[in-house]
Amino acid sequence: MNQINRFLAALLWILGVLVVAGITHIIAIFAMPKLAAQDIYARISDLAKPGQTALLPAARPGTQFMPFADPALAQAVCPFDLSQGSLRLHADVEADKLLTLSFRNSAGQVFYSMSGLAAQQGKIDVVLLTPAQLEIVEADDDEDNPSQDLRLIAPDSKGFVIVSALAALPGEKADATERVKAVSCAVEQVAED
Amino acid sequence: MSFGASIAMKKAQWAHGRIWGKFLAAGALGILLGIFVTLIEIQRGNGFSAIEAGPWTGWPRSEASEIDPYTRAILAYSGEIALSESEAIGFVAYGDSDGAPFDCACDYLVKGGIPPARFWTLTLLSPGGDLIANKADRQGFTSSELLRANNGQFAIALSRHARPGNWLPLPLTSKFILVLRFYDSELSAPAAALDAAHMPAIIKGRCG
Repeated sequence: MNQINRFLAALLWILGVLVVAGITHIIAIFAMPKLAAQDIYARISDLAKPGQTALLPAARPGTQFMPFADPALAQAVCPFDLSQGSLRLHADVEADKLLTLSFRNSAGQVFYSMSGLAAQQGKIDVVLLTPAQLEIVEADDDEDNPSQDLRLIAPDSKGFVIVSALAALPGEKADATERVKAVSCAVEQVAED
Repeated sequence: MSFGASIAMKKAQWAHGRIWGKFLAAGALGILLGIFVTLIEIQRGNGFSAIEAGPWTGWPRSEASEIDPYTRAILAYSGEIALSESEAIGFVAYGDSDGAPFDCACDYLVKGGIPPARFWTLTLLSPGGDLIANKADRQGFTSSELLRANNGQFAIALSRHARPGNWLPLPLTSKFILVLRFYDSELSAPAAALDAAHMPAIIKGRCG
């Protein structure tokens, strides 16, 4: 009897350890992005102000901005802060070259992404807005002459856009860098009246 | 009688303290175990939705808008800004087609089928995601720069020693992984039915 009691007590104890371990594990997994989020936005803010683009350091041994980067890509970042106005992004796409865009919140999570294949007549025009800014812009729309812009609502006011271009051949590195540099970002004041 | 009662009380107090001690020990051990499991899980770096095709594992690090909390934690921990699924779809290999882990003293040949994509790249990295410097200054290949046979087939030789054709230098001592990325691919999601026959095989050659 005594032995069974002891066995049950030990079992209960192990069960207790496992429950605490499980709870800790779940909390740690969910807390990780929040702990790391400030870090990534701060590192990007060091490179560029909202509405400006900056090249990410080339992915070379020893100078990587982030792990697991593809060394064949040239990448630029454009941080945004919609409390200062909406963000207008313009990119020219060459038909046989790869250019991709991903729109992220301040933790780096993607809320919209596209490749150059989605370009219309070789151009990508995206306006990133808050829901309130979208209402104002839509109120000013000319129905006969609809805007060609792709309007995106950002889930958070702060975040960043990553622009990537592929250098398909080693000799195209400089060209790929030029193509991501040519993508323009600008803060646009939304007229509130 | 009173002596017996006093002993019983002492015993009860002692048991009381022991129970609290057990609670504390369970709590502390539980927290340690939880953190340990979390770190292991995150450093291993496989999310929930990893699919496998031959030696390749679907890269859990491609950012979809609806990624699972594990993948999100893995990305946050590594500081990586992963490309989204509509930009690139990635696969990682930790070993050859026979399932043996990579050994930098051996030669490997990457060859075979490749799923349709506008571009793809093969990159050699350390398990932590760092590029490894080498004298040839080459860390990978793009689909455009490969030397191919007349029928379009390709083979990439991985070795510490210079090889003719597509040579990807292996590190002299450290561990390595291979990452295969498809850009503007027709694989809409890693869920696309991939089987080993459609992915390149990694064949081990001579060692030493």
